[in-house]
Amino acid sequence: MRASRPAAATLAVLGLAAFTAACTSDTAGSGGGDTLRVAANSTDREPMDAVVAAFRKANPDIKVSVTYADTDQLQSTLRTQLSSGTAPDVFTVWPGNGNPGALQVLQKGGYLADLSGYSFASKISDGDKSVTQVDGKTYIVPVTFNGIGAIYNKATLTEIGGTEPKTWDDVLALCTKAKDHGKVLLALGNQTNWVTQLVDYSLAATTVYAQNPDFDAELSAGKATFAGSAWKQTMQKYLDLDKAGCFSKNPNGTSYETSISDVAQGKAVGVVQVTTSIPQVQKEAGADAELGMFALPSTNNADETRIPAAVSAAYGLNAAGKHAAEGKKFVEFLASSEGQKIYAEKGSTLPVLPNDSFKADPALTGLIDMQKNGKTVPFMDQRWPNPEVQATHFTAVQKLFSGSESVDEALKSMDDAAKKS
Amino acid sequence: MATVATSSFQKHRDGPPDKPPAPHTGKRRLSRQRAPWWFVLPALAFFAFVVLVPSAQGGWWAFTDWDGISPVKHFVGLDQFRTLWHDQAARDAVGTTLLAALSITIVQNAIGLLLALGVNAHLKSRNILRVLFFAPAVITPVVTAYLWKYLYAPEGAINALLKTVGLGFLRQDWLGDPDVALWSVVAVVVWQFAGYSMVIFLAGLQSIPQEIYEAAAVDGAGPVRRFWSVIRPMLAPAITINLMLSIIGGLKLFDQVWVMTQGGPGGATDTLSTVIYKQAFQFNKYGYSIAMGLVLTLFVIVVSGLQYGYLSRQEKKNS
Repeated sequence: MRASRPAAATLAVLGLAAFTAACTSDTAGSGGGDTLRVAANSTDREPMDAVVAAFRKANPDIKVSVTYADTDQLQSTLRTQLSSGTAPDVFTVWPGNGNPGALQVLQKGGYLADLSGYSFASKISDGDKSVTQVDGKTYIVPVTFNGIGAIYNKATLTEIGGTEPKTWDDVLALCTKAKDHGKVLLALGNQTNWVTQLVDYSLAATTVYAQNPDFDAELSAGKATFAGSAWKQTMQKYLDLDKAGCFSKNPNGTSYETSISDVAQGKAVGVVQVTTSIPQVQKEAGADAELGMFALPSTNNADETRIPAAVSAAYGLNAAGKHAAEGKKFVEFLASSEGQKIYAEKGSTLPVLPNDSFKADPALTGLIDMQKNGKTVPFMDQRWPNPEVQATHFTAVQKLFSGSESVDEALKSMDDAAKKS
Repeated sequence: MATVATSSFQKHRDGPPDKPPAPHTGKRRLSRQRAPWWFVLPALAFFAFVVLVPSAQGGWWAFTDWDGISPVKHFVGLDQFRTLWHDQAARDAVGTTLLAALSITIVQNAIGLLLALGVNAHLKSRNILRVLFFAPAVITPVVTAYLWKYLYAPEGAINALLKTVGLGFLRQDWLGDPDVALWSVVAVVVWQFAGYSMVIFLAGLQSIPQEIYEAAAVDGAGPVRRFWSVIRPMLAPAITINLMLSIIGGLKLFDQVWVMTQGGPGGATDTLSTVIYKQAFQFNKYGYSIAMGLVLTLFVIVVSGLQYGYLSRQEKKNS
């Protein structure tokens, strides 16, 4: 015992030294080194790695190191790094408002460089300006355009003898067909908080925003409420789909990962998800599987159907970054035709800025058509007044599905959250 | 478990159990070599630098409206604490936290004690069993929580097993049903740390001198009587430390909840720690979240202080 104590102490000291060294080498890289530091969401690893490789080829003298982290971790780490002056040079910024790493939140702290003078700024469409600008100035370079719809396996849809639904009644009929074949139409992983919102957003795009595109602005101004709007019908329809047996059993106990596997394994025809989930479904279902996507109808007038689609991945340039010139070059590359093309193709998304050379994933045809016809509405939370509204929405949906709250109570809780500063 | 425990007593009566270490000699050697108090200084300095100073600095922010990112923060006095008083989500979380901490403390220690009594017996496999029971405690809670999340899935291993053995009616939506989710989380914590409690109880059991068991047996005390009147009082220090550790761990419960349910469904498993995390990192309310953190700290100090006072009085009474 005695002999092992100094050994243990030595180990502990060595461990501590190694730990400190690890931290220091990282900081040294950020400080005096000649490496451009980038931080991105781990869901963007594949496209970002490809973009960095292309950037390095074009600029062999600039070294780039990218750190990836999951959403929660990335948001909390970035905030700490920004306020302590150790943040990377280029980093993920969520468009609009509504989450702790969002443009409007970070811009308030003065941490983002003004990118209005860059050539890409003038190419951003009017629809995307509301989530990439603050007071008329552009602070982020938008990279991907992402949609929320029913992503499905074409073979499974054929197996149940169905076609893409165009109306609400079509959806309900398709649910019955799926059930008759021992499947469900839509896998639902509501155990994972952020998944809870997706069906609501898909339905609300038509029920709420097709009629009143300014609902979010009115909500922020205190002129509209969730309870007094078509959000009530939206949530009711969400529950109606559940009653009609459209979703997997026990959605509150099912995770995002399980819902994706259910589609890949043919237990469910599809899943209402963001288009960035397509690569994961494809990976699990195999390269041969043919995937498709449709906007979830919520009325019986097919012309009214809208799809939530918005700028998703976007990057900001650190206003106090150590490598301003290199950072500028990298941001310009992200905005370039080549950068946008690589990013969108590798990530199965669409580029935000106009791009002729881009070849879309065939699964995205549904989204591209809606985008061309101007039938997209931004992600709702990007324009909600504070991050608590979205979090309250997650909780409310879980409570609705466990039967512990009514639609009216759910909407009231969201209204209460929206009133908070 | 009960049978194993009883058999250990019987074996003690019939023949010599494990040769216990010689506690008296150990004690004397220890007291003779008591280290000077200033040996603690390097560790204390490091602890102060890493934990105490930042905590004290951060504590002050509970009296501001800091959002965690902007350079400005305003002094708001006790406003955050006033808001906290009326916050229904925080109140619910206090209830959930207490319920979880209390049930973890009771069940984990009961199982830990039974396991310790069992593996203290003359079983051939006792060393393997000790390792097996303790093994989960060395794995990071985050990892075990991920594993259990898969086991608990509606189509997961647990429900499949129940169906196979004909207990299909017991199948549950383990993490998705708000009435069941908290208990599912508690079960994982107990599963992971019962072995940890066992090790502490085992150390206590092995320090009880063999002569005392024998004297009790000669006096005609049965297994229950021997446990209550001999083992329990002599285990008092182990009981104190185990109860303290599990109640503090329970009050701070975060990792397992965050991985398995993120506080859901619908806030049913939100503990004080998950609410604090959400306020700081999801709602940008650092000041408010720190105020909650301070309240949690006081809460842990008071609860564990009361518990410690009671248990040490019991220890004194018994000695």
